[in-house]
Amino acid sequence: MADDLMLMLLADARLPVAGHTQSGQLEAAVRSGLTAAQVSVLMRSRLGSVARVEAGTAVVALHRLRAGLPLAPVVDAWAARTPAAPMRETSHTLARALLRLVRRLFPDSPHVADAAGVEGVCRPIVLAAAAAAGGISPASLGRLVAYDDLQTVASAALKLLPLDPLDATSWVHDLLPAADRLATEVAALTSPDEIPAPSAPQLDLWALAHAATTRRLFSA
Amino acid sequence: MLEDVSKDRGLRIGVCGPVGTGKSSLIALLCRELAADLEIGVVTNDIYTDEDARFLRSAGVLDPARIRAVETGACPHTAIRDDVTANLIAVEELEDEFAPLDVVLVESGGDNLTATFSPALVDTQIFLIDVAGGGDVARKGGPGIERADLLVVNKTDLAPYVGVDPVAMVSDAGSVREGRPVIALSRTDPGSVAELVEWVRSELALHRGGGLVPADPGPMAPHFHADGTSHSHDHDADHQHV
Repeated sequence: MADDLMLMLLADARLPVAGHTQSGQLEAAVRSGLTAAQVSVLMRSRLGSVARVEAGTAVVALHRLRAGLPLAPVVDAWAARTPAAPMRETSHTLARALLRLVRRLFPDSPHVADAAGVEGVCRPIVLAAAAAAGGISPASLGRLVAYDDLQTVASAALKLLPLDPLDATSWVHDLLPAADRLATEVAALTSPDEIPAPSAPQLDLWALAHAATTRRLFSA
Repeated sequence: MLEDVSKDRGLRIGVCGPVGTGKSSLIALLCRELAADLEIGVVTNDIYTDEDARFLRSAGVLDPARIRAVETGACPHTAIRDDVTANLIAVEELEDEFAPLDVVLVESGGDNLTATFSPALVDTQIFLIDVAGGGDVARKGGPGIERADLLVVNKTDLAPYVGVDPVAMVSDAGSVREGRPVIALSRTDPGSVAELVEWVRSELALHRGGGLVPADPGPMAPHFHADGTSHSHDHDADHQHV
């Protein structure tokens, strides 16, 4: 089977994996003054930072799952590149959410069992297990991570800002080439050391600030 | 396929209903009445997360660590129905951390009359309406009013002030519920509180005995016709909705 059907399934916003609880730091950004016109800038900067780390982590984890290598160094590399504790905690929760689904879809997959057994498992590791079990290529996995990140912010934007939904989808569309470039960049990575290590201190600060607020619509 | 209801874990009770009908107050009431002899946890979803959790903590009826607030991304209906993941994780964390819990109460964010819990999240559910929402609410029906395991008509003490006859309201509710229980509740009426507590205890006993099977109240509302008659569907029947 071509891997695009599996990709569509995993990229679908209707997937029951708590995706609706996430805004990709947009809620905190809006609180600190980000406007509707700037949302696509935030989306682009995530592609250059947190989404890049997540995609690189997922691709390296996929390689190691298929090669039978341990995943703990990948988790460590991801954690070292994710300095904001609330972002790490959110990723742990989303990993658990995704594991519920992936276990159901691939109950006999050794890759899923490997991912589930890793201490401090994060979301990209579980996505990698889904990719390993579902026959998804590294480049496709990178595109999935990048695309999902774009749609997460775009759909949260509709809840947070006065927007025409057609605009939000246009921003995703216009950033697809950038998502594709990101996937191509990380597709061949095999070692945890090679996972990109960009920094985006403003996103980290927003995540930290958001975790300390009440009356949140979205998690930190 | 739903996961098997394990009688070895606690009973998960959902509380839902429109905004302002008294979900948080009902949960605070249950905690106050039951906390002496039952181990309880609470998961709350408010569209403004944490508001309800703060209310419950300030009510001082439960250790604040046993109250979890879950963000729903402004989708209260989604979080209890089509993607229950975030709530399930919070329930499981509470159950792990404070094992063994007898009861976990899950409070939905206030939504409209159509929102009910997925049986994948709760074992039994209470739907709340109140007299202040208008005497005709029960007649409007909907899955929660008609088929939740328990319907509570709340704030009956306010009835004289809002021009509603609570007896008629309960009677309306009873007529659309085909024998399912209805409680007219006022926190100032000890008899009604006792009735509510007794319902919870009997559901818990049923759950422990392995006899409680989650029933899904939703999602279809019955059809109302211009001549004033209504009917609900037998969902085994072959039919199409338009």
